[in-house]
Amino acid sequence: MLMDPTLGRVIERWRAGDRDAFEEVMDRYGLQLLRTARLILRDPTLAEDAIQETFLKAWQRIGSLRDEDPGPWLTRIAMNESISLYRRRHRFQALTERFGRLGGARHELSSEARLDLTHALDQLTAEQRAAVALHYYQDLSVEETARALKVPVDTMKSRLKTALRRLRELTGSEEAFA
Amino acid sequence: MSDDFEKNLRDHLHSEAQETREFPRRLRGRIRDGIAPRARARMAPQIALAGALVLVAVAVLAFRNPTIISVVTTNIKQILQPSPSPTPQPFLCQDQSGGSSGLTATLTNIRPGAHAGDGYDRVVFDFSGGIPSWDLTRQESATFTRDASGQQVTLDGSAGLKLVFRDADLAGGVATDLTPRFSSIREVAQLGNFERVLSYGIGLSSSQCVRVLPLSNPSRLAIDVATSGSASTTAAPTPLPTLSPSGTDNGAFSCLDTSGGADSGLAMQLTAVRVAHQPGFDRIVFEFAPQAGGTAHMPAYTVSRQASAQFVKDPSGMPVTMRGSAGLRIVFHGASVASNYNGSRDLTPGLPVVQEVEQLGDFEAVLSWGAGLSRASCIRTLELSNPTRLVIDVQTPS
Repeated sequence: MLMDPTLGRVIERWRAGDRDAFEEVMDRYGLQLLRTARLILRDPTLAEDAIQETFLKAWQRIGSLRDEDPGPWLTRIAMNESISLYRRRHRFQALTERFGRLGGARHELSSEARLDLTHALDQLTAEQRAAVALHYYQDLSVEETARALKVPVDTMKSRLKTALRRLRELTGSEEAFA
Repeated sequence: MSDDFEKNLRDHLHSEAQETREFPRRLRGRIRDGIAPRARARMAPQIALAGALVLVAVAVLAFRNPTIISVVTTNIKQILQPSPSPTPQPFLCQDQSGGSSGLTATLTNIRPGAHAGDGYDRVVFDFSGGIPSWDLTRQESATFTRDASGQQVTLDGSAGLKLVFRDADLAGGVATDLTPRFSSIREVAQLGNFERVLSYGIGLSSSQCVRVLPLSNPSRLAIDVATSGSASTTAAPTPLPTLSPSGTDNGAFSCLDTSGGADSGLAMQLTAVRVAHQPGFDRIVFEFAPQAGGTAHMPAYTVSRQASAQFVKDPSGMPVTMRGSAGLRIVFHGASVASNYNGSRDLTPGLPVVQEVEQLGDFEAVLSWGAGLSRASCIRTLELSNPTRLVIDVQTPS
């Protein structure tokens, strides 16, 4: 994967321990990663925590970055951190959701209960939101999204399809396409 | 498959994302504060502890069996004793290769040293596990192409050596860029570390002949580069092939990156991309229109030449490999693709030089495209109006 020559030199300096170079990389990718993390975590403070951890890990693991653009590498770390953080903070909620699903068929939403997209996104799992954020916000292809989230392409297709169906259902948009 | 719902979702996500307007200073500060010294420094206590344990073990062993001390001493001497200096080899003005394949060698250090009194500069590559297969290639410039990425890097000097090791790993802490600035050897920089192929570029003050000495105990490869005026044979530099810019009414071709336009007012909308061959050049045209309420102007642009047809998508950072072996990256600031744009975003015209033209990104008014070229070529740009067009002419072989 290709870096522009300027970025290549910055990475070389970072490898040599240059903190200014590291901060240049933070300038270049930080905002995009933070926005994506916030879309997944639904909480600005948690998103900052995830990105803080992302860059600290990146600093420590620069040796594992091959001669490539650091964007996808940072994205992979950020996605991992975001999903892990979400899971840690929402264990109880995840448990109740699981019991809820075991309890019976999902309730259909009345028109009054239909949600706007923001709240509908809140209802997705962190993994689904990560897929949606990478595919629809960062405009990654399904294959690229699968690679970033380290899942098979077919799994990613299924995950996106499920997420989309759930969003349509929650927002009542499925009627228009029935 | 995309529909209105997906478009709404995409718009909604961008709108939500825009709520985070900047990378917070406090977050930057937290990260900066959290950067501890590199792993090597943090390992110091563990290394000290391990060393202490080894010393204790040796002391216990020596107490139980005093003869072991002489055995260990002898073995250590054998290990540390450098191999005798080999018979002086001649300096050769040609590419060279050697080493052994199938090793599990690791490069542990790189040490430049000046031997001006002896007529050469030396750089030594230290290995554990033997000297792996290597190729040394001389070149008449200090510009190298990085492995895997294909990007160009120019080292100090006006000539160079490229050294490639195969089946070799890289130990932590080995310098990636050394600048000894000796009489002959000016800079040594890592060019690649990919799938156990390690490559280094050595920038030289001028084209010089080289002597390569594989040495053992410890395993190391010494590269001696003759200094100017030494008794060693000096190779006559071969001029690099250059593309001669052909002057035309539209201006001369230049083998440099170029930029222009202005990022002002409302973003311009890309309405068409065309590619065609003309006598002496292939032409790429980007056509723009102002959006409602905006005025026509050329958006700020940069056209960057690169030594490979590999690009990175913006903003995902994902790699794209186009047809060809060289490329152009065209980035517009203050521009985006028009909503009614119905042209191709990946053209493969198969012209003499321009092989492919593909959109790389369209994000927050930064629009980028790449062009895959069959060969590195000089370019010229023309800014035209009514309608607003950026014309990029890529020189073709005469």
